[in-house]
Amino acid sequence: MNDVLVKSGNKALVEGQKDNGDCFRFSIGRRGLERLDLLLLVIESLDFNGAEAMLFSCEELGLKDIFPNRVELWKLRCHNPLRRTTRRGALTYFESDALILLLCSMADRLYPLIHQLLSSKEPETINSQRWHLFQERLSELIKERMNPRRGGVKRFLSATSSSNIYKDLVRTLALASGPGGPDRLRASLLDPTP
Amino acid sequence: MLKTSFTYNQTSVRLEIEGFPDTSLGHLDGQIGVISSWKIELLGSADLEGKREHLQELMLRVLPYARYLLSGVKRPFGNNQSTVSISSYGQTHQLLLRSSQPGVEPLQIYLDDAELSDLVRCLDELRLDSRVRVSWDLPENNPLTRKELVNRVPFIQRFGAPFIGSTAFALVTFVTLLLTVELPPDENHIEQSGSISTSKNEKLALINQDYF
Repeated sequence: MNDVLVKSGNKALVEGQKDNGDCFRFSIGRRGLERLDLLLLVIESLDFNGAEAMLFSCEELGLKDIFPNRVELWKLRCHNPLRRTTRRGALTYFESDALILLLCSMADRLYPLIHQLLSSKEPETINSQRWHLFQERLSELIKERMNPRRGGVKRFLSATSSSNIYKDLVRTLALASGPGGPDRLRASLLDPTP
Repeated sequence: MLKTSFTYNQTSVRLEIEGFPDTSLGHLDGQIGVISSWKIELLGSADLEGKREHLQELMLRVLPYARYLLSGVKRPFGNNQSTVSISSYGQTHQLLLRSSQPGVEPLQIYLDDAELSDLVRCLDELRLDSRVRVSWDLPENNPLTRKELVNRVPFIQRFGAPFIGSTAFALVTFVTLLLTVELPPDENHIEQSGSISTSKNEKLALINQDYF
């Protein structure tokens, strides 16, 4: 369904699904929301113009109805409970799906960069410099946007576990890109909390 | 009927398939309904070739492995009898390919995360290509169950809280059992004890009388 959405970017199709009650059957849980927002934050740390690029992608994907401007996008992302300013309530299936499509499209766009970061064939010194820059920027963004008193945020910022978490996030973006990425990512975001 | 070939390129992986349209199913020229051969070129490894069944088995192992990896579960796919199996090997992913020819050692290929994602993208492009009219019979991407996710949580984190809770409960129960509790005064008990004491006094008085 979403592959069709990605390919067509058809507003009418989006509206049609909005009217259909089926689209509210699934909603992403708290963990899923945290992960989704964090992945968007990773996109922003990989691309300095990430926020602008996201708006551009929204237009390309035909998601302008859901994200007409950056404020609406920010409001949806604020459902992440780890944020400094959080919003109560859950996203509808349609809203979360739009965020997933946006994320996967951005991951697809940044795939060469993600590939470079994950590749072991790249020169080690250059790659470690890239990782250092990326980790520094992501940590800054997390400090800026997330509530530092939350245990989860502390874990993202701790020196011992952060590098593994950041690598997992970049790998997630790599596997979420491409034509089959949105389906895979959606399924993983709907995982129950163990 | 012309042989058609499609190529799917990524940085470190190149997948090429050749085949014909299945005219009995109404396929048009430029479509593939019957795969005659396929080839995967992995950068720095041997080229992989085989029948359509082998390609399907590769998809059946690699795509669910990627799905589980996305949920943080490094579960191996395939067993000793499988033509293709994939598992996690340290920081890399080990792809094991067994030949159907007897006496041929299995081929081991180690993929890093970038190569794995390239392979997954190539396979995704193939299975979602509208020009390739082949039914792959792959499992759908569904959320994992709690049971499948449980190994993702470290052992100490998983059993730490229940262990501390049950230990604390047992300790509190034990200490409570050791404490003596004074019961509230009971009238019958006082009366009984009173009669005993008087009988004791009487006995003492009798003894004293006998003695003196």
